[in-house]
Amino acid sequence: MAKASVPRVDPRLTRRSALGGAAALALASCRGGDPAPSQGPRAGSGAALLGSIIALEHAAAAAWAEIAGRLGGDGRRYAEAIRQREIGHAERLGGLVREIGGTPPEGRPAAEYARLFPQLRDESDALRFAGDLEERLVRAYLDALHSLPDVDQRRAAAEIAADESEDLAVVHVLAGEPAAPRPFVTGTL
Amino acid sequence: MSASRRELLAGAASAALALARSAPAGAASDVEQIERLLTLEGRLEAAYRMALERDAIDRSLGQTLLAHEREHVRGLEQVLGGAARRPRATVPEPGGGVAFTGPRAFARYALELEARTVAAYEDVLASYRNERLLQPLASIMAAEAQHEVALREVLGTDLLGVG
Repeated sequence: MAKASVPRVDPRLTRRSALGGAAALALASCRGGDPAPSQGPRAGSGAALLGSIIALEHAAAAAWAEIAGRLGGDGRRYAEAIRQREIGHAERLGGLVREIGGTPPEGRPAAEYARLFPQLRDESDALRFAGDLEERLVRAYLDALHSLPDVDQRRAAAEIAADESEDLAVVHVLAGEPAAPRPFVTGTL
Repeated sequence: MSASRRELLAGAASAALALARSAPAGAASDVEQIERLLTLEGRLEAAYRMALERDAIDRSLGQTLLAHEREHVRGLEQVLGGAARRPRATVPEPGGGVAFTGPRAFARYALELEARTVAAYEDVLASYRNERLLQPLASIMAAEAQHEVALREVLGTDLLGVG
């Protein structure tokens, strides 16, 4: 099946907002259809939220593989390193879900994710998509902090949020921008 | 004013009230945690200010990072309100003199200080009781993590700190 291109949008919208919207839609659909982690853990244990973030991390790892394919040199090397970090985050969170008796969601085949991503025509598209992905990931962890009931879960969310913010800074640098442009990094939905 | 600064200030009033109440362990513990962060932020602010004075950092980068640290300090002070019990640090740590001899030495020093600050925020975020302040505190931590990348760029090392 051919890959979905950037959805048709109001011509007044910028290409950046189109890519950003596509990133959000792709990630939302990637996790929206995943089953609940399991029947096991009690409500309020954090399992459902962690499962949702794990699904997001699986989608992000797949997205970084696509992004790496559009970059060369250092850009590709960092994209692959960040992809590995996303896989590591999913594994870490999966361990926390298992600790409370749950089953973390598994990733989907790469092709299933790929058809949901925007078409990346060049390096510039790839970096914009990467920036939007990382903004979304930062936001997911910041949002999760006040809903996770356990100290270890919150510590993991905080540590991974710092990782995602670093990843976002690397994207800035690869795009020729300052690594740390703002005093507060909130991410975006 | 950025969204996060608004959130931080909005949470500050209620947080200051909560911290000032004499209730006990929880509140006292939150005060100590914010004071610890404020000490680290004060050291970072002092470090970037001194580095600029001594030409130990690129001017544009130094001014940006200094401005960020001032925003962080101001936000944390608002959170503490009248509950602050200790003066915040206004000078770099003792023994940091050699760090100001040039851009690379300073970047190494500042990177270590930023890493300790990020780790402190991670500790606080794991156990902090006032849920309204979790996101604003995390947004500061996330900015400090980006500072680490900026400093690694100065050093010419791996931007993710690998190897």
